[in-house]
Amino acid sequence: MDLSVRLNRLELPNPILVASGTFGYARELAAFVDFKRLGGIIPKTVTARPRKGNPAPRTIETPSGMLNAIGLDNDGIEHFLKHHVPHLLRLGAPLIVNIAGHDAEEFVALTERLNDVDGLAAVELNISCPNVSGGTDFATDPRLTARVVSDVRRVSRYPIIAKLTPNVTDVTVIARAAAEAGADAVSLVNTFTAMAVDWRRQRPILGNVTGGLSGPAIKPLALRAVFATARSVDVPVIGIGGISSLDDVMEFLVAGASAVQIGTANFYDPTVTMRILDELPDALRTLGADRVADVVGTIQLLDRPARPPQLAD
Amino acid sequence: MRSMSENLPTGSGSVADDSLAAWFSELPGLVCDATWAVGHVVERERMARETYRLRIECPAIAARILPGQFVMLRPAEGTDPLLGRPFALFDVADGPDGTARQFDIGFVVVGKLTRRMSRWEPGCPVAVWGPLGNGFPTEYQGHLVCVAGGIGQTPFLAVAREALGLRRYGSPPRQPASQSRRVTVLYGVRSAELLAGVEAFRTAGAAVFVSTDDGTQGHRGLVTDLLAAMLGQPLPAEQASATTEAVRNLPRPDRILCCGPEPMMQAVARLANEHGIPCWLSLETPMACGFGACFSCVVRVREQDGWDYRRTCVEGPVFAAERLAEW
Repeated sequence: MDLSVRLNRLELPNPILVASGTFGYARELAAFVDFKRLGGIIPKTVTARPRKGNPAPRTIETPSGMLNAIGLDNDGIEHFLKHHVPHLLRLGAPLIVNIAGHDAEEFVALTERLNDVDGLAAVELNISCPNVSGGTDFATDPRLTARVVSDVRRVSRYPIIAKLTPNVTDVTVIARAAAEAGADAVSLVNTFTAMAVDWRRQRPILGNVTGGLSGPAIKPLALRAVFATARSVDVPVIGIGGISSLDDVMEFLVAGASAVQIGTANFYDPTVTMRILDELPDALRTLGADRVADVVGTIQLLDRPARPPQLAD
Repeated sequence: MRSMSENLPTGSGSVADDSLAAWFSELPGLVCDATWAVGHVVERERMARETYRLRIECPAIAARILPGQFVMLRPAEGTDPLLGRPFALFDVADGPDGTARQFDIGFVVVGKLTRRMSRWEPGCPVAVWGPLGNGFPTEYQGHLVCVAGGIGQTPFLAVAREALGLRRYGSPPRQPASQSRRVTVLYGVRSAELLAGVEAFRTAGAAVFVSTDDGTQGHRGLVTDLLAAMLGQPLPAEQASATTEAVRNLPRPDRILCCGPEPMMQAVARLANEHGIPCWLSLETPMACGFGACFSCVVRVREQDGWDYRRTCVEGPVFAAERLAEW
C-alpha cells in the first residue's frame, strides 16, 4: 500500500514521524530502529547558541505519563550542522530540523543557516517549549505566532511546520494564525505545563520546578486539540500527544491528523515505530482505504455509531 | 567495550560505514547492538529485607552483557508504571548449551515499579532492553577494590568473577585487559538485614568486609572508614573496629571501583585521588529511556572550559572519578 502523505510542500513516505526531543540525534536509537522506514526524523531542538539545559532531576514519572524539563540542552546550530546533520542526512529518512529562538530574528537567523544545507525535508518551529523563556510565549499569542511564521516563511527554502502548545485557551486560534502566516503544516500538541511535588521535603520534584506532561495520560487531550484544529484550519495537522500504538495512530488520523509524531513511547518502547509501520497497511485496509489520506478526518459526528462504543481497556 | 565495528547495527544497512561508526563511537556507552525484547521471569529470590534478585530469560541480552552494563526493565503490558528503570547486571546464567541465556539483576523496593517487581512470579512477561552503557574498564590488575553502598553492590559480582578469571562475558566472550590477583569488596549498608549476596561474592573468590550504620554486623560506621583504613589513614579510636584493622593489613589497592549513594561515591573519589589510585564510579541517575534519547540522566562532567551536562546512560554509567565536576 502507498503510505505516502503530502502536507502542502512537504511530501513524506509515510505518516509515522518521531517527535523532537524523544529521539535524540537518531544515533541513540540505531539499535532499535531501521531509520529508513520512518516517515520523518525530527532531532532534538536546536538553538542558536549552546545551552546547558536545566538542573536535574529533569524528568519524573507520573501516572501513565511523565514530566520533563530538559531545558533545550543542545550544543547549538553550528555544532549541529557540522556534527550531526551530515550523518542524519544519510539515514534514509526525511530530516526535519526543529529550531527554537528567543525572538523572530533568531528564528530567521537559524532558518538562514539551515538554507545553507541541502537535503532537508522541512523546518519545524518550536514556538511551544514550556521549559524555557522565549518558548511558549510565541504560541500563546496569535500575533507573535504569525510574526515568527511569516518571517521564517519569507526566508526559508524549506517547508515549515509550526509546533504548537496546548497551554492556551483555544489552540485553533493559534493554528489559524500560523496557517495564514504561511505554515505548511501545524504540529500539536507539545507538552502540557505541569508539576510534581515531594510533600515530605516540601519541594518541587523537578529541578526546573515545572515541566511538560507527555505520554499516554495526555492522549485524549491531544486528540481533542487535533480534532478541533483539523476542522478549523486549511493546512494539514500533524498529531502529537501520547501516541504509543497503531490504534492511537488510527484515532489521530480519523480525527483529522494527516500524519503523527511518536514521542514519549520511544523512551519505553523504542521499537514502537517499526511495529506501527508493520501494522498500518492492514488497519487502513480495514477502513477500505487505499492510501492514508482516505482516512484522514473521516470521523463521523452525526450518525449514531454502528455499534456501541467500546470502553477503553 | 567491544569495538564499534562489531557494534554497528545490522538492521540499518546504510549505517555500517566508517564515518557513521565514528559518529556512534563518540558515545562510549552507546550500544549499537542492544535489543528490545519481551523476556520473562525465571526466578525471584529474596536476598535481604526488601531486596530481591530476579532472573530474566533473554538470551540476546544475556549473551552480550558485560560487567557494569545495565538493562532497562518495565512490565510488558500497561502504562502505569510507564517508563523503564535501569538495573545493573548482577550475573548471567547459562542454558544447556553452555552459553548465557538468562541474566540476574538485584533491586531494593523503593517505588511503584520495584514494589510490583517484588511480586513478579516465574513466567511473568517483562519488557527489557539492553545491554546499555559502557561497563567497567577491564584493566583489573593487581588488587581490585570494589566499594559498594546499599544496592550498589550489584555490579560487582560479575566484576569479581571476570577479574578473577571465573567467567567470561560478552559475545564472543571477551578477555579482560588484565586480571586481578585479589578482589576485595567493601560493602556498607544501613543494617545487617540489608546485606545481599555476600555469600555469592565469597564464592566468586572475593574477600568481603562489611560496615553497617547501626553496628549490627562488621564495622559500625561508614564504608569509607574501611577504605580509609585500607589506604593506611589513621582513624580516631572511636571509629576503629576489628574490621578496619583487618583491612588495614591488606595490600594497597591498585584500582578502585565504586557504586552507591552520591555522597559515598564523592568520599571514595576524594580518598582515591588523595592516594593517587585510579578510581571508577558507576553512577545511578534517574533515566527515562536508558539509551540517550531523553537527556534526563545528566551529570556535570569536566570540560576544557568548565563543565557540561553529559548523559550517564551513553557516556557512562561508569566514569573515571576525575572526569566528574565538583567531585
